[in-house]
Amino acid sequence: MARPVFGRVRPAGEAGSPRVTHLDRDRALVEEARRDPASFDALYRRYLAQVYSYAYYELGDHHEAEDATERTFLAALANLDRFEERARPADGEGASTFRVWLFRIARNVVANQRRGRRRHPQAPIEAAALVADPLDIEGGVATRDEAAAAWRAVGRLPADRRRAVVLRFVEEMSTAEIAGVLGRSEGAVRVLIHRALRTVARELGRSGRPR
Amino acid sequence: MTLFEREGSEVEALLTDRYLERVLARATGGEAAGPFDPLLNPILRDAAETLRRDLVRVHPSFRFEERLASRLADAAAALRMPAAAGAEGGVVSIGALSGASGRDDDAYLFDDDGELERRELSRPLLIGGALTSAALSLAGAAWVAWRTRPARRGSAMVRAARAVREARLAAAHVGRLD
Repeated sequence: MARPVFGRVRPAGEAGSPRVTHLDRDRALVEEARRDPASFDALYRRYLAQVYSYAYYELGDHHEAEDATERTFLAALANLDRFEERARPADGEGASTFRVWLFRIARNVVANQRRGRRRHPQAPIEAAALVADPLDIEGGVATRDEAAAAWRAVGRLPADRRRAVVLRFVEEMSTAEIAGVLGRSEGAVRVLIHRALRTVARELGRSGRPR
Repeated sequence: MTLFEREGSEVEALLTDRYLERVLARATGGEAAGPFDPLLNPILRDAAETLRRDLVRVHPSFRFEERLASRLADAAAALRMPAAAGAEGGVVSIGALSGASGRDDDAYLFDDDGELERRELSRPLLIGGALTSAALSLAGAAWVAWRTRPARRGSAMVRAARAVREARLAAAHVGRLD
């Protein structure tokens, strides 16, 4: 899917040709929200499912995920003036430092919530049942079983590897974005995901998978 | 782990990363850049495919989405109020911004060094500009009332004493003229 890219043409350097530097793809929305806080709604709609999904994978409970999502967006709105765009050309097209900033808030909200949690996390099988196609009964059972196995395997990973995997596969973030969210180097994120995949492969192999 | 093993692991991590870039690009409709690297362990490739397929994004309920949108709209309106009432006060009404379910009023942010920072969101529900304006208005009203009060007013006793004093002064003045 093509994503809007904002660019700025820098004056020609010594090399001669002007260069286009990619800017944060959320720049226009962020600036609008700073001018008029009511415009924050567009950013909210864009990232709601992502933040909620991240919180749900981390907390395993819909109510807690809703709480975490709400806190995240309220904090982001209240502190939007503190956000600094740090897009780099290396981040590539479609990069959003706003998304990284938002997820850093989400990560801390979730971490705080985990410390004070009262509810037990939902079993992965229940969660997988929620996402299976309700109309495909026969296929749905198989899908649920397979998804539950994958969710279980991911759920057993150490926290930092699990977060990296969720950000990579669910949120489809680049390595650079994940590094920004987790406060790690890109190399460290690559190793985290690689190790996580090895562990998941072992787990799935034990349960008769991968397919 | 020996140096050789560590380097081998890092190379494999890099290969995995490149593979995932292609897998995710394909999933989002982008171009898959060429054939997959045959050097990548097929077990890792299968695990990556499995996770890509099974780790789906979970959406919140529509009711929750609209409820939070409404709450954010209230908070946004509260953020806009100081500008309307005189932003020079600089104190923001954040009543609507206290945490979900009213359990915790802190937001969790990072400072410039990337360190965790707690920032209080629950502030006094005051609007500085309006407060200052009201105080000035009260002071102004009192000053105007003091300036415009009738010069000669008071109780009957005060008026009588004042009349006697004025009569005496007048009599003395007349006596001096005589």
